[in-house]
Amino acid sequence: MSIFTRRTFLQTSGALAAGAALPLGAPAFIRSANAADTVKLGCLFSSSGTMANLEGRLNYVAKMAAAEINAAGGVNGKTVEVVASDPASDWPLYAQVGRQMLTETKVAALFGCWTSVSRKTVLPVVEQNDGLLFYPLHFEGDENSKNVVYVNSPPASSVLPAVDYLMSPDGVEAKRFFMIGSDYVWPRTINKQLKGYWKSKGIDESAWKEEYVPFSFSNFQTLVNQVRAFADAPGGKCVVVLTVVGSSIPDFLREFANQGITATDVPILGLDMVEADLEGLDTKKLVGHLNCWAYLQQAKGEANVKFLSGWKDFVAKEKVPFSPDVAIDPMVSTYDAVHLWAMAAKKAGSFDVPEVRKAFAGLSFDCPSGYKIGMTAENNYVSRGVFIGSVNEAQGFDVLWQSKDTPKPVPMSPFG
Amino acid sequence: MRMGRRLGLLLLALAAAWHSPALAHDRAQIATQACSGAAGLSEAAATLTAGASSATPEDAAWAATLTGALLDKTIRCGARASTIESPSGFIDAATLAKAAPADGSAPVLSLKNRPLVETARAAATLFAGATAGERAAALRALERRAASLPPELFETAAAREPDAGLKEQILGVGQSALLNSSDVAKRIAAIERIAAQPSRRAETQIAALKSDPAYAKEPVFAAAVDAGLASIDRWLRVSSVANTLYNGLSFASILFMAAVGLAIIFGLMGVINLAQGEFIMLGAYVAYAVQETLRAVAPGLLDWYLILAIPVVFLAIAAVGVALEATLVRRLYTRPLMTLLATWAVSLLIVNLVRVGVGTQNLQFVTPSWLAGGKLLVGDFIVTWNRLFAIVFAGVTLVATWAVLKRTPLGLNIRAVTQNRAMAGCIGVPTRRVDMMAFGLGSGLAGLAGLALCPIYNVNPQMGSNFVIDSFMVVVLGGVGTLAGTVVAALGVGQINVLIEPLYGAVAAKVIVLLMIVGFLQWRPEGLYAVKGRRK
Repeated sequence: MSIFTRRTFLQTSGALAAGAALPLGAPAFIRSANAADTVKLGCLFSSSGTMANLEGRLNYVAKMAAAEINAAGGVNGKTVEVVASDPASDWPLYAQVGRQMLTETKVAALFGCWTSVSRKTVLPVVEQNDGLLFYPLHFEGDENSKNVVYVNSPPASSVLPAVDYLMSPDGVEAKRFFMIGSDYVWPRTINKQLKGYWKSKGIDESAWKEEYVPFSFSNFQTLVNQVRAFADAPGGKCVVVLTVVGSSIPDFLREFANQGITATDVPILGLDMVEADLEGLDTKKLVGHLNCWAYLQQAKGEANVKFLSGWKDFVAKEKVPFSPDVAIDPMVSTYDAVHLWAMAAKKAGSFDVPEVRKAFAGLSFDCPSGYKIGMTAENNYVSRGVFIGSVNEAQGFDVLWQSKDTPKPVPMSPFG
Repeated sequence: MRMGRRLGLLLLALAAAWHSPALAHDRAQIATQACSGAAGLSEAAATLTAGASSATPEDAAWAATLTGALLDKTIRCGARASTIESPSGFIDAATLAKAAPADGSAPVLSLKNRPLVETARAAATLFAGATAGERAAALRALERRAASLPPELFETAAAREPDAGLKEQILGVGQSALLNSSDVAKRIAAIERIAAQPSRRAETQIAALKSDPAYAKEPVFAAAVDAGLASIDRWLRVSSVANTLYNGLSFASILFMAAVGLAIIFGLMGVINLAQGEFIMLGAYVAYAVQETLRAVAPGLLDWYLILAIPVVFLAIAAVGVALEATLVRRLYTRPLMTLLATWAVSLLIVNLVRVGVGTQNLQFVTPSWLAGGKLLVGDFIVTWNRLFAIVFAGVTLVATWAVLKRTPLGLNIRAVTQNRAMAGCIGVPTRRVDMMAFGLGSGLAGLAGLALCPIYNVNPQMGSNFVIDSFMVVVLGGVGTLAGTVVAALGVGQINVLIEPLYGAVAAKVIVLLMIVGFLQWRPEGLYAVKGRRK
């Protein structure tokens, strides 16, 4: 691991040498602390490595939310400054950079991590230093730390409603499941909970199959052959529950479409699939595949219109190297997180973590998804709405189904 | 109650389909139903499919337009009337007369409704399609669901079909719709017909007949089922072997393309170039630049950008390689460890330059029409065009590289210099220039690898790092200094990987292959093919 760490340092210094680091934001530990009338927020999102294309955008959304808060007068008389870093998709580095941010840069809160494995490495760091980490991804649950704010949904209010939909007569009455995931904690835990859930519904073990691939795996030919064989066997409709992450998602989709399987034959439920994964793919052959999130770009409502136009303007003004027309759930969740933090700090009248944490109870925010999201005194989970999206021809997702209100998040799954 | 009424409606439509020669669709009602939510849409699609064979030609054309608009999302479901956006302007969904556009949006088709609407459109197009090609395409769409469709659909369509060839095909597909008919002879014909196109789905379909009462009662029927299953099983075994071979070959072609440049730079020249992966990435980026240039200058040629980009990519990356050799690598020939570090630094520099200059997102490559999809050859064996392209490309590259090394004066010089630099210099070979040319050739080949990979993999600044380890693995395993070794090693690693993957999973496959290579190199440190003779 030490080699990777050293390599990443070389990488960042290489970027600096090329005069390149400016638009990406210099790493936190290089930037010196300045002005006393600002309060710092730290971002732990990679702009290099396998997660770069997805996590990279979240740095900018946090900055955009901070700019909105500053335009409205800041928090407790201070302007908010977002400090970005690059943990380079290297999981142990998230902890290292996080520690530096908390102890040296003295950030008031951290916003970061995409994969659960990176959150797990940062967890002991925020707990030791009594910091606050806002985590913007839906995840496997089974964790409840007072130092982490789980802005997105645990499986009970994201994955299970989607699987229920697929198994219902409105969906495809799915009877059999092919689970394909990247080999780490999130896919394995999600799949374990799903298996428990199916067992509780009396579904036999022969009805599912489970396969894992390494990170940034791309040669899906053999696996897609296996999916075809499994789907054509008797026993009812088969769906693929896809939990691969990062650059493996588009590679899988491409191979799936090339082997001639359409969503009406075998639908894919892509749990980590977002609009950004469809960039560069011909989605005509992928129409109908599903994902489930707490926000979809086509969500109706004024808050969403405002968010989308805000992002578009921000991209144009700051020359952000990401698409101005694509908004994904973790972007909105990061945006919500910064606003929730600001509201809590305002309510507490302080930036001290224990004070801010006490102020979480009863907060609510008009999320761009159209739901009023809220927090209770019970835990640091945020209740969000549920969307099921369906891939359309224009590299986006149509809203196929959405929940009536925001279900109460259940941190610990009874099925795992 | 509602269920009963719906069923009644369906039965009525079916009954109508059987008895009356031409029954007009209740267009207004179906159009309203299609816009009334998911349940209504299912019903409308079922009515259209059931009534397809008895509809008037005008109604069939209307049904095709309506279902097409639902699938293409050109329909707007308004509060009172719905309109379709056609090339000639907005038309009413029920009457097809010109109308003011309704305000509303197209319904999102659920996974359940999509196949129903697709079937309804195919059934309508089979009757109303303007050209034989359209009707044949509709027939192909219906073929997969033939057993669940009324046999009359195909009978009527065949009777009306003017094209003799297509008529035969329709009758053929119609046979498989008779799998559940009451006439045993027809059922046997259907089994034979289905077994003639072996696939796992066909196997499941026929295997289900084993629990049919006729299987126990009628020995002829049972024999037909068993014979059908045996024949499908045979073909499935053939196709599974073909699949494994094809997957192995396709993986091998990727490994070979990634390694061939290194086989020259590392294998022949002995330079450890860690920026090789980044040359692959740059090759893909140059291919992208060619695509974007063509899009701006000559959109008509866009479909062929992969072919047109070949010389551009090769020359551009070869130039990068020559520049790297002249500025950096040349000064470090005597210090291999320094070369390693320097080329690594170069690789980081290139990655970060691309990241800053272009961005981290995946590049949007146009998939040329001739590379999308694949063809089902036999049983379950699909040849996907993008993989076939990579295989053919690797084959052509192999032949070209071999020819350059063995049949040209440059190749002769490269081999002379790498085998004995001092002696080659003595007899007048310009060793410095040859080094530069060889490095350029190796880099250019890496660039071509990037070009071959862009229809298969995602292109982003990080893609190179995935390949550099694989390519060193293949070159070292094959034996330093031989092209043949690289080919055999790529084929071996590719095939073994594909064989292990279904058994132990992709993670274990990688581990097992690496362990095998370590074991093999313990036994034969010089790799598969050792260059005989004295090396410097």
